[in-house]
Amino acid sequence: MIYTDMVCPFCGCLCDDVVIETEGDRVVRVDNACTLGTHKLMTTRKDRLKGPIMRDGAGGWRDASYEEAIEYAAGVLLDADRPLLYGWSSTQGEAQGLGVSMAELLGGVIDSTTSVCHGPSILAIQEVGHPGCTLGQVKNRADVIVYWGCNPTEAHPRHMSRYTTYADGFFLQNSFRERKLIVVDIRKTETASIADEFVQIKPGGDYAVFSALRAIVRGRGAVVPPTVAGVTKEQLEKIAEICKSAKFGAFFFGVGLTMAPGRYKNVRNAIELVDELNRHTKWTLTPLRGHYNVYGSNEVFTWMTGYPYAVDFSRQIAFYNPGETTSVDILARKECDACLIVASDPGAHFPRKCLEHLASIPTVLIDPAQTVTTPLCRCQIPTAVTGIDASGTAYRMDGVPIHMKAFLDLGYPTDTEIVGRIFEKVKEVRHP
Amino acid sequence: MRITLSMRERKNPYIPVEAEKIVPSILMKGTDVTVYEGNKERRLADLFEITVEGEAASVDEVEVVLRGDTSRVKRVGEYMDGGRITVEGDIGMHCGNFMAAGTIEVRGNAAGWFARELRGGTVICRGNAGHYCASGYRGEKKGMRGGKVEVFGDAGDFAAEHLSGGEVVIHGDCGDMAGVEMRGGTLTIHGDCARPCGNMTAGTCTVLGTVLGMIPTFERTGEIVGPDGGTLTAFVGDIANRGKGKLFIRNFQYLE
Repeated sequence: MIYTDMVCPFCGCLCDDVVIETEGDRVVRVDNACTLGTHKLMTTRKDRLKGPIMRDGAGGWRDASYEEAIEYAAGVLLDADRPLLYGWSSTQGEAQGLGVSMAELLGGVIDSTTSVCHGPSILAIQEVGHPGCTLGQVKNRADVIVYWGCNPTEAHPRHMSRYTTYADGFFLQNSFRERKLIVVDIRKTETASIADEFVQIKPGGDYAVFSALRAIVRGRGAVVPPTVAGVTKEQLEKIAEICKSAKFGAFFFGVGLTMAPGRYKNVRNAIELVDELNRHTKWTLTPLRGHYNVYGSNEVFTWMTGYPYAVDFSRQIAFYNPGETTSVDILARKECDACLIVASDPGAHFPRKCLEHLASIPTVLIDPAQTVTTPLCRCQIPTAVTGIDASGTAYRMDGVPIHMKAFLDLGYPTDTEIVGRIFEKVKEVRHP
Repeated sequence: MRITLSMRERKNPYIPVEAEKIVPSILMKGTDVTVYEGNKERRLADLFEITVEGEAASVDEVEVVLRGDTSRVKRVGEYMDGGRITVEGDIGMHCGNFMAAGTIEVRGNAAGWFARELRGGTVICRGNAGHYCASGYRGEKKGMRGGKVEVFGDAGDFAAEHLSGGEVVIHGDCGDMAGVEMRGGTLTIHGDCARPCGNMTAGTCTVLGTVLGMIPTFERTGEIVGPDGGTLTAFVGDIANRGKGKLFIRNFQYLE
């Protein structure tokens, strides 16, 4: 069976031109996807749990029924004084919405992986706004592209071929020659090797370089010292000139910027540079989002609570304060006493201190496969993968919603079904 | 009137307590108030042993004393409009939020967002203060607007972020980006700090120690004599933001 125009459930590009061939319940061929997407689609059955598992009380695992696991999950969440509901970036928008409703009823904290990737971008946007556009605009119009603190060649492998360097657009017939590419990073990456201009800055120097560029763009370059964070003033002036001469510029950045010292102030400075450039020509800015539906979690959380992530419902009203209500901070301070993790693998990414606390409290994982987080949990409930054996809504990195289609039926319930069933149990107690 | 709140032993001492009702003007009317421990509403007396001595005719005659492990008690002194709060140990986040008058003294350390968006009164920390001391809230354009904050130890990152008025004095060192987005008021740092006053538009910041990673868009205007009699280099900026803030620094180093 051959499925065309399928959507890849890997990164925030949400490539929607993927061709998948199956034989029975196996994927035998994937066309158009990148290495990362192809691997996810081809190995979809690998490490999947056959059914829920729970601790057997002797350090091992035992099989459990979905009903028993759901009952257990609801019980630990209801017993908690401060439950944490974390993850949500690799699942469908429908499950995210139910998660928010459940967090509100439980008086818990709901947070997505945003808090460890582009959370600072959102903080900056809340301070000074977001001069954004869709990736289609970039593809058709942008003649200068900046990649700052990111390496799309390896992390978003089709970003350049679908939207920037290698993608011909309506106003750019020979994209590779007509678009200028500027890459800014602390090391020469694969992306940097094809750049027209590579700017190598010292680690932690992003903020200073943005400030210097802003001063140069507005004609106050005389103040800028001869070298800023390892970048010569001559190169900064050259970059500023390229940016000012663009017909349409598109600025992309990754966690190399958001997680560098200064964090959201780096992004704020980037946005203010883009604002400054908009006095001369047209410029836009887009964060390169990682998980395929992390943007969706921000959208759904914002519709429902007013805040994009790290929402605390302890007082039955939404409160938001990254640094206080973000998962890493809550776990490091041991402030939660139960945790539900949905479609995420904090075991692979969080600091050890956080994982020690996760292992010490009742933690339930909803995830299709065995992951690094599995050993930290007391119960795991496997579900279908959105875009493979479940359909649902996801948001691309530029905020465009895309329907994810299913092409397999492996018999697993969806995240929406499982979260919904836990929510029903919670409602039976809180709203009998 | 002296109201002493001694923290009782808790089953889980890590769960935060939100106690914005611990302010003199509320407690002078009675101590039968509620606070939140996680998502559970509790009576103040369930968490604290309460002793009330004497009477008060006005809020300025009230002193609230907190004893025991109050390091997880948040929002103490929020919207305080008079009287005095003395914390004998450490205090949790958001102590003195939006306070307008009175005095808070913390004898231990203060967690993040200490004296956030202060409008008046005096807030003192004898130990160290966490990140965002005397700062604004997320997305706010104005942080602290009045009053005085004095920290005798060190302060974390983003101290006095969005400072718009009042006085902030840090006797120790500051972390990264003190006074970032400053638009008024005065900030004095007796120790060292990194990258102060990025994007500032107005106000005065004095650093009597060494600045690392000096922001490159401040224009040097000369030298002045500092409050300790030593020489300070004077800057104006942040030029990147068309700013006219004043920055006086003893020693500085660019990230070249």
